[in-house]
Amino acid sequence: MRAHVAEGSVLRLEQLTKRFGDRAALDKISFSVNSGEYVSLLGPSGSGKTVLLRAIAGFEAPEEGRVSIVGEDVTRKPPHLRGIGFVFQNFALFPHLSVFDNVAFGLRNGGDKRTESDTRRRTLEMLDLVGLNGLETRGVHQISGGQKQRVALARTLVIKPKLVLLDEPLGALDANLRMRMRVELRRIRERLGIPFLHVTGSESEALAMGDRLIVLDRGAISQFGPPGEVYEHPANPNVAKFLNCYNVFDGSVQGDAFVTNHGPIPLARRVASSTPAYAVRYDRLTTRADAGAGLSAAYIASEYLGSAIMHFFETPDGKVVELEHHLSNGPPDAYEAGRTYRLSWRPEDGIAFV
Amino acid sequence: MESRLLKPILAVYVGLFLLFLYGPFIVLGILSFQQGPEGGPQFPIQEWSVFWYKHILGLAPPSRVSPLPIGISLTRSLTLAGMTMVTSTVLGVMAAQAFRRNFKGKSAAFYLIVLGMIVPGVLVGLGSALVATTTGLERHWYSTAFATHVVYTLPFAFLVMLAIFNRFDASVEEAAWSLGVPPATTFRKVTFPLIFPGVLSAMLFAFTLSYDEFSRTLFSSGREQTLPLAIYSTFAVEIHPNVFAFGVLTTLFSFALLTVYAILMTLSVRRAKRVAIQEAV
Repeated sequence: MRAHVAEGSVLRLEQLTKRFGDRAALDKISFSVNSGEYVSLLGPSGSGKTVLLRAIAGFEAPEEGRVSIVGEDVTRKPPHLRGIGFVFQNFALFPHLSVFDNVAFGLRNGGDKRTESDTRRRTLEMLDLVGLNGLETRGVHQISGGQKQRVALARTLVIKPKLVLLDEPLGALDANLRMRMRVELRRIRERLGIPFLHVTGSESEALAMGDRLIVLDRGAISQFGPPGEVYEHPANPNVAKFLNCYNVFDGSVQGDAFVTNHGPIPLARRVASSTPAYAVRYDRLTTRADAGAGLSAAYIASEYLGSAIMHFFETPDGKVVELEHHLSNGPPDAYEAGRTYRLSWRPEDGIAFV
Repeated sequence: MESRLLKPILAVYVGLFLLFLYGPFIVLGILSFQQGPEGGPQFPIQEWSVFWYKHILGLAPPSRVSPLPIGISLTRSLTLAGMTMVTSTVLGVMAAQAFRRNFKGKSAAFYLIVLGMIVPGVLVGLGSALVATTTGLERHWYSTAFATHVVYTLPFAFLVMLAIFNRFDASVEEAAWSLGVPPATTFRKVTFPLIFPGVLSAMLFAFTLSYDEFSRTLFSSGREQTLPLAIYSTFAVEIHPNVFAFGVLTTLFSFALLTVYAILMTLSVRRAKRVAIQEAV
C-alpha cells in the first residue's frame, strides 16, 4: 500500500516541548516524515495535535527541541522562511480577494520575484488541478465549502512547499463531501509528490488517508506506524480507545486470566503497557456460540450503519459493550431489549495490556 | 398584550429623547434666519432673512456688529484636526496591533493610553501650558495644542482599533506567512484592507474630536486661536444670530464629513463583493 519509499526525511522533530503555564502541551515529541509520505496524526481534542502543527509551522515557539526541514534547523526561523504550507480548518481564505487572487497571493507577494504571466500560468494550472476552472473571478464568499477547501489547498500547493500541514482540513465539510475530498486530497498529493502531515480527530479519516499514522495522546506520541499495524496492534489501551473499534475493559492480570468486573477472561495476546486493560474489537464479538472468552451483558439498542449493524449491550455495572455485525455475514440476530446475552470471542482476538 | 402597551410608551420615550437631543439645534437653526442687523438672538422672529449668513461670508453691508473672526481660525482648526487625525490614527493602529500580543506591563500601558480621554481637559491644557512656560517652549496651536489633541484623541482611535482586532481572525495572517509572504507585506496586503473600515472610524473620531476641542486648547494654543476659541471670544462681547448661522454651517460641514465617511465605508465593503456581482450579471 505504501506509495513512496523513504528517501530521507523532509521533516524531523527532536524532543519538541511546548508548555502553557506548567502544563506540557507537547512533551518531547520526536518523529520524522519522509519525502513523498502522507502521515496522518490522530488525537482526541486536547491531545496537542493542533499545537504540534502550529509549532512546526512556526506560529508557536517551542520551549525545547528542534524542528528541521530537509536537514535545516528552522526552530528559530519565522513562518514565512520555513517553506511549509498550512491548510487551516476554517480555510482562512483572504475575504477581500477573488479565487484567482487568493491562489496567486503567495506567488505575487512571496520571496521570489516572478513575472505576472508566469504567476498567471501557474495559478491557472493549479486551479485546473484542484478542479476550480471557471471560478477564477468569484469572491470567496460566493463559493461552496468544498470549493473553499480547494482554494485553500491550491493556494498552498501553488508555491511548491517542502511539506504541507493540514489542520483538520475536512472538519468543516459535510459527510458526503468529506468522503470525496479524501480521495481528491490523495490524488492531488500523489500528482505533486509533496509530503502531507494531516491532523484529524476522526479515526476513519486517519486510517484511510495516511501511509503512516501517528497517535498523539496528552502531548506525547503513543504510536507511530502504518494504519494496518496500528489498527491490529494498538500499543496501549488509549490507542485502542481512540481507534473507536475496540471494547476496552479495566482490570488486572491474575495468573492465566485477565480479571475484570465482568469476570475473568483467558489470556492469549499480551502487550506491555503502563496501565492494564483488555481490548477486543467490536466485530470480533458474537452471541451465536461460545468462542472461549466472554462476558454477559443486557441488550440496549442497535444502530444501522449500511454495511453493518452496531448492537449495544450493557454489563450489570454500567459498562457499554459494542458488537459489530457485518451484513455480509448474513442477516443480524434479533435481540430482546433488557435480556442478558452471553457475548463471546476467541481468546486470541483479545489483547491484554499488562 | 404586553407589546401593545409597551410599544407606544417606548415610541413616546424615543420621541422625547430625539426632541431633547435635537431641540436646541432646531431652535438655533430657526433663529439664524432672524432679521439683521437689528434682530437679536431670541424669539420672536421679526422677519425671515439670510442676513446673518451673508454677514459671516462678508457679503453684508457694514454694520455695528463686527464680523466673526473665522477665516484664519477655521484654517487653523482644519489643519490641526487633519494633523491630529493622521497622527492619532497611525499611533492608534500601531498600539492596538501591539496589544494583540502579550507583553510585560500591558495593562499599565492600556490605562496610560486611555487616561488621555479621562483626565479633565482643562487640567491637561493648563498643565501643558505650565510645562511649556517652565521649559521655555513657545505655545502654538501646531505644537503644544497639537500634542494635547493627540493625547486626547489617541485613546478613541486606539479603542476603536482594539475592538476591530478583537474580532479579527488572525489565521488569515498566518496563512499569508505560510505562503512565504513577509509580515510587513502581510500587514499591507491582508491585515490593512480587512481593518480599513475600523481605520476610517478611528479617523472620523480623531478629526471631529479635535475639530471642536475647546478646554485643552484654551490654555495650550497660545495667541493664535482655533475656531472654537475664536467663536467663544465673540460671546464675551455680545451674542448675535451670526453665531447661530455659523453653527448651522459647521453642522452642514460635519454632515458632509459623515457623508464622505459613509461613502468610503460603503466602497470598502463593496469592493470585496464587486467581483462577485460582476460574475452574477
